[in-house]
Amino acid sequence: MEQILRLFYNNGSFFTFCALQVLCFYLIINHNSAQSAIAAETWSIGTGKYKSVSTTVNNYFDLREQNEVQMRENARLRRLLPNALYDLRANVDSIIDGKYLQRYNFLPANIVNRSPYSPNNFLVINRGDNLGIQAGQGIIDDRGLVGIVDQSTELFARVISILHQDTRISAGLKDNTFGTLRWDGKDPRYMTLTDIPDYTEISQQDTVFTTGYSNVFPTGHAIGLVTDTEIQAGTGSMNLQVRLFNDPLRVSSVYVVQDLFKEELGILNAQ
Amino acid sequence: MRGADPVSNVIRFILLLFLQVFLFRQISLGYGGKELLFIFITPLFIALLPLRTPKPLVVIFAFLIGFGTDLFYETLGLHAAAATFAGYIRQFVLTILAPKDGYKVKANPDGNDLPQSWWLRYLGLMLGGYCLFYFSMEAFSPVFWKDISLKTLLTTPVSWLVSVILVSFLRPRI
Repeated sequence: MEQILRLFYNNGSFFTFCALQVLCFYLIINHNSAQSAIAAETWSIGTGKYKSVSTTVNNYFDLREQNEVQMRENARLRRLLPNALYDLRANVDSIIDGKYLQRYNFLPANIVNRSPYSPNNFLVINRGDNLGIQAGQGIIDDRGLVGIVDQSTELFARVISILHQDTRISAGLKDNTFGTLRWDGKDPRYMTLTDIPDYTEISQQDTVFTTGYSNVFPTGHAIGLVTDTEIQAGTGSMNLQVRLFNDPLRVSSVYVVQDLFKEELGILNAQ
Repeated sequence: MRGADPVSNVIRFILLLFLQVFLFRQISLGYGGKELLFIFITPLFIALLPLRTPKPLVVIFAFLIGFGTDLFYETLGLHAAAATFAGYIRQFVLTILAPKDGYKVKANPDGNDLPQSWWLRYLGLMLGGYCLFYFSMEAFSPVFWKDISLKTLLTTPVSWLVSVILVSFLRPRI
């Protein structure tokens, strides 16, 4: 308190000056037309700036609500778009030929949902029981493999992506060497082909195909290229690193592979 | 104009205000319809206040004479603001112009205790500050800086001359 008083005492002239100048400004602005016009102009410029700033700031305050409204509107508009509708027409592509018996049906499907990227990925396609989707059917796209159907409902089916740590796919090379393709949950561009005998001669860039032994995928569908080999000491086998042709995380239109002989083969396999 | 006592200051206040509003208010020179040259002598009162006057009191007295001028000039606040400013900067002008051995306690600003040249410079600075602030307030916007500087440059020397003459005439008496 004493310091404040001392401050006022030491700077008395300054405070007197300020107070009197404020009084003078008040008098000038209220009793002189030219000066009051200039002051009003300056004031309106200043408050205009202040108002535009405060409007900008206030716009940010209800950004959350605005977002909510926008998203509701977006959802309403998206419901009107063609791809929001479930297509009951299905183009089942089969050839009737006396010499060939149709083994695989390919059913076009679209991926309508996918789990967030993790070591265990799932997809949902817009085909279900009504079109004969069953657990165990394979999903491919034009460049590679996508996954295997896990569960199906009336209209949709859940697919275990090949980018899932539990995925086991029978795959092999051109010379009929075969092994199991799995994913270690790390790099979505690469999978590992295990259980290849270590005496097999492998060249870099050899193509890896599906074997068709598991009735999930048709035989000879290309998967990717060998980029690296790694002999597993003591097991007599080696692992191949396979660079995938496709990108299972980004694919959107796929084909469901329906094996028409599955039941018949299943009888044999069960014995 | 030598007296440091309150009575002399009151007389100076009334006399200078009277001269300013009845005589020098009539005088203004201009060019092309624009008045550029005025004569202000009320700052003389502020300059002649005794050196030992407390600084806040200087500011208050300055405000009073400025306000009095305004009442007759119909520019309420303008002269008051300029005079208050002049009263405030007086302490800094005094510091700038302080002689080597400082001021005597009872010294008066005008010529007797201090050299004539000191008095002339001191008065010039006070008038310059007064005029600059007055014309700034009159224009009320830095946009008119040309007018402000022109009026200040024309008014200050003339007012200074008039003030010096006035003080020399009246020195022995009041």
